[in-house]
Amino acid sequence: MKNIIIFLIFLFFLSSIQAQIKDNKAPLPGPAPEVNLGKYESFELENGLKVSVVENHELPQVSFYLIVNRPPLMQGNQAGYIEAAGRLIGTKTKTRTQNQIDSTLDFLGAKLKTFPGGVFATTLKNNENEVLSIMSDIVMNSIFTQKKLISVKERMKLEFENRKDNPQTIINTVSDVVDYGRDFPYGVHPTNETLDNITLKKCEEYYSTYFRPNISYLAIVGDITGNEAKSLIEKYFGSWKKGKIPEFKYKIPQQPDLTRVILVDRPNSTRADINITYPVILKVGSDDVIKSAVMNTILGGENFRLFKDLTEEHNYAYGVFSNLSPDEYAGNFTITTSVKNYAADSAVSQILYEMKKIREDTVSENELFKAKNYLIGNFALALQQPQTVAAFIINLDRYHIRDNYYANYLKNISAVNKHDVQYEAEKYIKPDNANIVVVGNADKISEGLKKFGTVSLYDKSGNNIKGISIEIPKGLTGKLVIENYIKALGGKRNLEKVKDRTTIMTGNLRGRKMTMTVYQKEPDKMKQEIIAGSLKQIVYFDGTRGVMKVADKTLDIKGQELEKLKYESMLGLLTHIDSLGIKFKLEGAEIVEGKKAYKVAMILPSCTKWFQYYNADTWLKLKESENIKVPRGTFTEETYLGNYKEVDGVKYPFALKQSVGSQELNLTVDSIKVNTGLSNSLFEIK
Amino acid sequence: MLKNIILLIIFSFFGTECFAQLKINFTEYSLDNGLHVILHKDNSAPVVAIAVLYHVGSKNEQKGKTGFANFFEQLMFAGTKDIAPGQYYKYVRDAGGELNANTSQDRTIFYETLPANQLDLGLWLESERMHYLIIDSSSVKTARELINRERLRKFNNRPYSDVLEQIFRHSYKIYPYSWVPVEPIQYIDKASIKEIKDFYKTYYVPNNATISVAGDIDIDKTKELINKYFSSIPKGENKIYRLSVIEPKQTKEIVDTVYENVKMPAVIEAYHIPAFTNKDFFSLYMIAALLSSGKNSRLYKSLIEKRHLAEQAEAHSFGMEAPGLFVLLGITEKNVDPDVLKIAMNTELDKLKDHLISKNELQRLKNLTAEKFIEANSSDAGLAENLAEFSALYGNANLINTNLQSYLNITPGDIKNAAVKYLGKNNRVVLYYLPVSAKTSGKGGE
Repeated sequence: MKNIIIFLIFLFFLSSIQAQIKDNKAPLPGPAPEVNLGKYESFELENGLKVSVVENHELPQVSFYLIVNRPPLMQGNQAGYIEAAGRLIGTKTKTRTQNQIDSTLDFLGAKLKTFPGGVFATTLKNNENEVLSIMSDIVMNSIFTQKKLISVKERMKLEFENRKDNPQTIINTVSDVVDYGRDFPYGVHPTNETLDNITLKKCEEYYSTYFRPNISYLAIVGDITGNEAKSLIEKYFGSWKKGKIPEFKYKIPQQPDLTRVILVDRPNSTRADINITYPVILKVGSDDVIKSAVMNTILGGENFRLFKDLTEEHNYAYGVFSNLSPDEYAGNFTITTSVKNYAADSAVSQILYEMKKIREDTVSENELFKAKNYLIGNFALALQQPQTVAAFIINLDRYHIRDNYYANYLKNISAVNKHDVQYEAEKYIKPDNANIVVVGNADKISEGLKKFGTVSLYDKSGNNIKGISIEIPKGLTGKLVIENYIKALGGKRNLEKVKDRTTIMTGNLRGRKMTMTVYQKEPDKMKQEIIAGSLKQIVYFDGTRGVMKVADKTLDIKGQELEKLKYESMLGLLTHIDSLGIKFKLEGAEIVEGKKAYKVAMILPSCTKWFQYYNADTWLKLKESENIKVPRGTFTEETYLGNYKEVDGVKYPFALKQSVGSQELNLTVDSIKVNTGLSNSLFEIK
Repeated sequence: MLKNIILLIIFSFFGTECFAQLKINFTEYSLDNGLHVILHKDNSAPVVAIAVLYHVGSKNEQKGKTGFANFFEQLMFAGTKDIAPGQYYKYVRDAGGELNANTSQDRTIFYETLPANQLDLGLWLESERMHYLIIDSSSVKTARELINRERLRKFNNRPYSDVLEQIFRHSYKIYPYSWVPVEPIQYIDKASIKEIKDFYKTYYVPNNATISVAGDIDIDKTKELINKYFSSIPKGENKIYRLSVIEPKQTKEIVDTVYENVKMPAVIEAYHIPAFTNKDFFSLYMIAALLSSGKNSRLYKSLIEKRHLAEQAEAHSFGMEAPGLFVLLGITEKNVDPDVLKIAMNTELDKLKDHLISKNELQRLKNLTAEKFIEANSSDAGLAENLAEFSALYGNANLINTNLQSYLNITPGDIKNAAVKYLGKNNRVVLYYLPVSAKTSGKGGE
């Protein structure tokens, strides 16, 4: 009896195991492969250049990677000069023009790239002499011209302009400032001003000081032998002269004592971009690098903990990842994600929860297994590129890493266990000493973030704007602000004298010059004509009807758009507020473009709200903000007003900057003519 | 003037035609079930790439029953008996690997790169889908959605997106190159599950497949593994119909106009050329490079830089299993008559027929060709793909070592002769792409 029962239990047990096995029949990986960097030789020239050669004779190609191992530098008020110098290197040498360099390389089928930190070149085996001749010429005899510098600066300024409102750019810049501080090279970012300041002398100084053999490493990978390399490098780089390299000491950047929130207001944002970030001490080539990589993958790799939590479980984000980067001077840990506005604080909560969890509990065998496999694959595949091999060879030397570090890398990943992971988590995951940097619509998200620590408002460049709340004088109301505004403009009497007005403005729309002429006549007639190249657009408002004419089409303006047009067309809006039924409500005070401003909501009879910001000192209007609805969605249109000048007793802004979404339009007023006797026929809608 | 002469003299001393012989070693054999195997050992990086080529492309489709070949490129990622739907990618990604696939008129190829210790995984994955693919309404539906997304990406209001389709349709009357793998509307959209299963049983079989493995492998161990995963897969039972039809020689110029939503008119010319392994193909390949390989090439210099006739000007030589096409494309600059551009393009071709190209120009092309070849074979995946293709389509995997030399042996005379022989009026199709508005105004081809 007993035997049968035992047998039945056993049978049941066996079939359930088989069911499990059927679920995953994929073969298991073999033991981690050894990294074979190939036959590799090193030698040093008399001038200090350290050369390594990795032979690979499969294909008749050779690559040369020269890296200049200079210290990080404080760029000061010419921030960006290092990048500029990097772009100038290779444009001209003592004996070659840019055209000669480019056409020779094109002829030879060779590639050459220059960076602020070195030069890389790839060539067919039988063209190696010619390419090395060019490469060494660029490294040793580069010449920078003022003309080329101007063009490089223009380009860098354009790139800066195009990127500066991008939430990714903002969060990266501010994270760097907050992680490293402005006294450390990594915390310094270029601005329009610093780019303007860059001088030829500074770039030349950079090049002649740091492009020296005694701090440089050259890795050669490909179809070449050690002996061939020796004679080639001696021939082309032997005459490169040593230089004295200055040394600098920097204070090690610190994690914050307490977790804090750094908030950058970006009113146009419909999402909140979040970085949870701080500096760490993690040197290239240390054992911590390998073990902490496993830990970091489990926390924030694709399809691992943070990803499953924020995307699959909670649907806050499309993606989230964590990055733990080693660096000789200051490493970094950052978790990055982008979430819907309403989820900003919940997402931060979950991230902090995961950070605590990986410190407190050991990870599962399954997670460990998956993380290691993923890392092994990643690392192995990267080794296909000669660039990776070159970087590793150079690292061994410049960071004084033990010889077999890379050879055993995969084996060492394999050997990481869950206690190693917990140790690394305790060492590097710091939910209580983190900078929570958020870029988004402060109005919507700042309240919820207060629970994580002090919230400080920063601008796009990483400057701390003192405090979110600014004191409002007792008794100040929206109506009073408007009355002061009217006085500042020139007073009610002068405003009422304006019966018609013609304003001519010029601007730049996506690289094209545009001219805008606005005709207005009492009480609310308006005609706005925009010409940009061959494009022409006219908007009419005749008091009741509004149309837009563009190309051969006439479009009727309706609804909220029509309402907006009506009120914006009114010449005498400010002097007829009560009779129009418009109300003003003081909403608070804010910093706008560095100035203290009162925020006032202008409420139209239809209950549409427009927000206006008045300079607390001069009472002039600094900014207007309206929500506009287009088929694509709702956008915030912001208009900044400046350069007020008087025309016939009334002040008008002569500089306007309008942004909708990521589009920005700068307008300059060329002329304002008042009371020229505009006829009604001008406003007739034909 | 002097500067250019000096440059010319300097160039002529450089880059002799002496070129190191390529020695890419490989082992080649077939299993009893017909699966052709090529193995290449390269221990320089701890990775292994597996490429499986099925000798089926859009040319194997029946006229009017198109779309199967490209459809299978998507369907092969569906579930199998031991792989849940959507899992295929995950296995490779979780292993830190990469994968991809592509379809042409001649063949369909799948490949993945994995760390060297996951060779088992890669071979298992490919063996699973070679024989145990689950073809049902669910997997077919998913594949159809992916195809539609692909079409949206390729065709949705993108100007000139159907150029290839039009060129091939106009150029081939008999040979099934007259349609291309992806077209906006294809029979596959309404094919039955049975038809799809038949296609699988006919073409996705070991005797129609070549597997090549390149990377950090041990040859003997790999042979064992291939045996383990593939030898039990039975040979296909259905007859594989190999094309024997030949496209008759074109004797008269064909001209047509396509009216589409394009801003600028374009002119496209397609000439019939021999297949990939024909000696003349190499010359035509070089001609394409001479005409369009960056800012120092002839079309760019004369049509774009000097005369401002074209916004874009390109030449491509399609090297295929059967005789393919040499294509010239020019998109006009604003207010340029497409006929003027056409005449200018043809003047460049005439130059090749009348004058030998200089040794320097030819040397530049050879450098470029060598560089491209090396780049295509510098990853294990690229190598695996090329070995499989050379073997399956052209019957000679060793082309990987001899092909480059064939290009390097071309002389200026070869180029001139090929231009004269193939780039003539009666051997071509001319297509004008004009905006729809031009239709009513009566403009069009000659």
